[in-house]
Amino acid sequence: MSVEQHYLVGLDLVGRRVVVVGGGTVAQRRLPRLVASGAAVEVIAPHVTPAVQAMADAGELTWHARPYEDGDLDGAWYAITCTQLTEVNAAVAAEAERHRIFCVRSDAGTEGSAVTPAVGEHDGLLVGVLSGGQPRRSAAVRDGVLSALRTGAVLDRPELGRLAGVALVGGGPGDPELITVRGRRLLASADVVVTDRLGPRELLDELPPHVEVVDAAKIPYGRAASQDVINSTLIEHAKAGKFVVRLKGGDSYLFGRGFEELIACAEAGVPVTVVPGVTSAFGVPAMAGVPVTHRGVAHEVVVVSGHVAPDDERSLVDWPALGRLTGTIVLMMAVERIRAFAEVLCANGRPGDTPVAVIQEGTMRTERVLRTSLARVAEDVTAHEIRPPAIIVIGPVAALSDELITE
Amino acid sequence: MTVHLVGAGPGDPGLLTCRAAELLGSAEVVVYDRPSMADILALAGTGDKRCVGKSGSRPAWPQAEVNQLLVDLGRAGREVVRLKAGDPFVVSRGGEEALALAGAGVPFEVVPGISAAIAAPALAGIPVMVRQIATTLTVVAGNEDPEYRQRIDWSAVAAVGGTVVVLTGRSALRGIAEELLAAGMAADTPVTAVSAASRAHQRRVTGTLAALPDPRMRPPVTFVIGAVATLDLLEGSDAHP
Repeated sequence: MSVEQHYLVGLDLVGRRVVVVGGGTVAQRRLPRLVASGAAVEVIAPHVTPAVQAMADAGELTWHARPYEDGDLDGAWYAITCTQLTEVNAAVAAEAERHRIFCVRSDAGTEGSAVTPAVGEHDGLLVGVLSGGQPRRSAAVRDGVLSALRTGAVLDRPELGRLAGVALVGGGPGDPELITVRGRRLLASADVVVTDRLGPRELLDELPPHVEVVDAAKIPYGRAASQDVINSTLIEHAKAGKFVVRLKGGDSYLFGRGFEELIACAEAGVPVTVVPGVTSAFGVPAMAGVPVTHRGVAHEVVVVSGHVAPDDERSLVDWPALGRLTGTIVLMMAVERIRAFAEVLCANGRPGDTPVAVIQEGTMRTERVLRTSLARVAEDVTAHEIRPPAIIVIGPVAALSDELITE
Repeated sequence: MTVHLVGAGPGDPGLLTCRAAELLGSAEVVVYDRPSMADILALAGTGDKRCVGKSGSRPAWPQAEVNQLLVDLGRAGREVVRLKAGDPFVVSRGGEEALALAGAGVPFEVVPGISAAIAAPALAGIPVMVRQIATTLTVVAGNEDPEYRQRIDWSAVAAVGGTVVVLTGRSALRGIAEELLAAGMAADTPVTAVSAASRAHQRRVTGTLAALPDPRMRPPVTFVIGAVATLDLLEGSDAHP
């Protein structure tokens, strides 16, 4: 059947009798949306799946536990026949035709007087696709449209106008799929994107050509000064009327210095929104098969910055206290000083045979995982040439991953 | 791939990862815990939805039965999303489900989500880490599990200091505060309770370890203990719901 023979329409089924003949998996797929539309749904089938049964038990539809009989479509506005028996489907379709009731035949779409489009929902929108009997093609197009709506590649609310100010977006650990739906959408609306060395850099390739990308990692100043330069970059562009997305790795507030950027923008009178992200401290171990907490193994987890050594006067971390903890320790930015951290933890009570997992470039295609112990970690990190960015997980949970590796 | 252990984040569908949203859209079965996740479940369209958490007067399924359900669905070759509030591996029982699936030879993947430990404070205007104030974040499960009498070493937690976030601890907060006080944490250490983060009825109330915020708030409640708990970066803005 060619697509021209179909007319796509939205039916108001509220309170209207809709008959579904058959209670198998096809019915199970169609029923929730029919129920959601407010139709008075009646299922006619000797047997139904547990999910259909549950809908009947919940009062969402009426189930007649018997075979179809001629006359069952009396008073119906719409019908779907999806039994496994061709002759029953044919009989239902024939009755529907006689009474001028539109009827979908799931076993032979061209034999019915209606077909079900591939349907998806997004934020109050209903998307339907018909392709003249090519369901996989319809489903693929539907999925593409929904995905474009979710990511912001298609903007469905042009009346909301342009965004303003600065959005601090946590981009997640690096895998572009791990940014949030909102983060992705804001990124797609950005005029200027300020990025770092970390985070989902692949997403930058998808930005339209007019978007200005400022790489904060390349700002040619000392480390201390560069934060001021980043702050003023955000403020200047926002004040020039551009919508600025500050895209960071992980979450903006977990070592992301988002706090400083937010304060700077607020003091300059620039509106700021913060979109949390999946922090690398938890997300990277998770995708490497290391749960940072696990019932009966570790009920607490401490995330610690390793950007300064334990004996550094700038350190606010009480390393001896950390050594006494029995839970999980996640060290960030700690690869270069791991020897000093491992030593201070061991010296304060953490056993040398405590399992350790070191995950370099987690969630990315280039991910490497090193499994070792607290006593050996410094040596092994050197021997295996582990380089930043890496996350170090210390505690019994680091050994659970052996059981979690599946192919 | 059949079973996906997916973090749902704090509740707002916009804070799902793109991967989670995509998987929900194509899931045949979604297994979830909280009926309050309706906005997120709506993304699953016509997929079969099964609540294994506490629902009305019905208690939550025992963990072993949830594990078995996931194994059975996985073995049947169904495309399954196991939706967990927050992150599946942060004070959650995703690890047990992963082990059960691995033990049964059922393929699975883990999709991290935004843990309430970070998102709930952030959405209430509290950055859990500020270089000058707190450089450690300790996340603890509040409800001591009767099956596992493994104690959290509160004196070590108190000594580490920084920011302490208590998840799933509405009823346990008083006991935790007593432990932290006994371990030497200052009585005037700020404590902020964030209720229903990212939802329209989000609230925050601040007290101290000695004078706790009233925990009778709508769940889920996340507690932030430490100097950052008094910060309110959203003060005066319209971002507070």
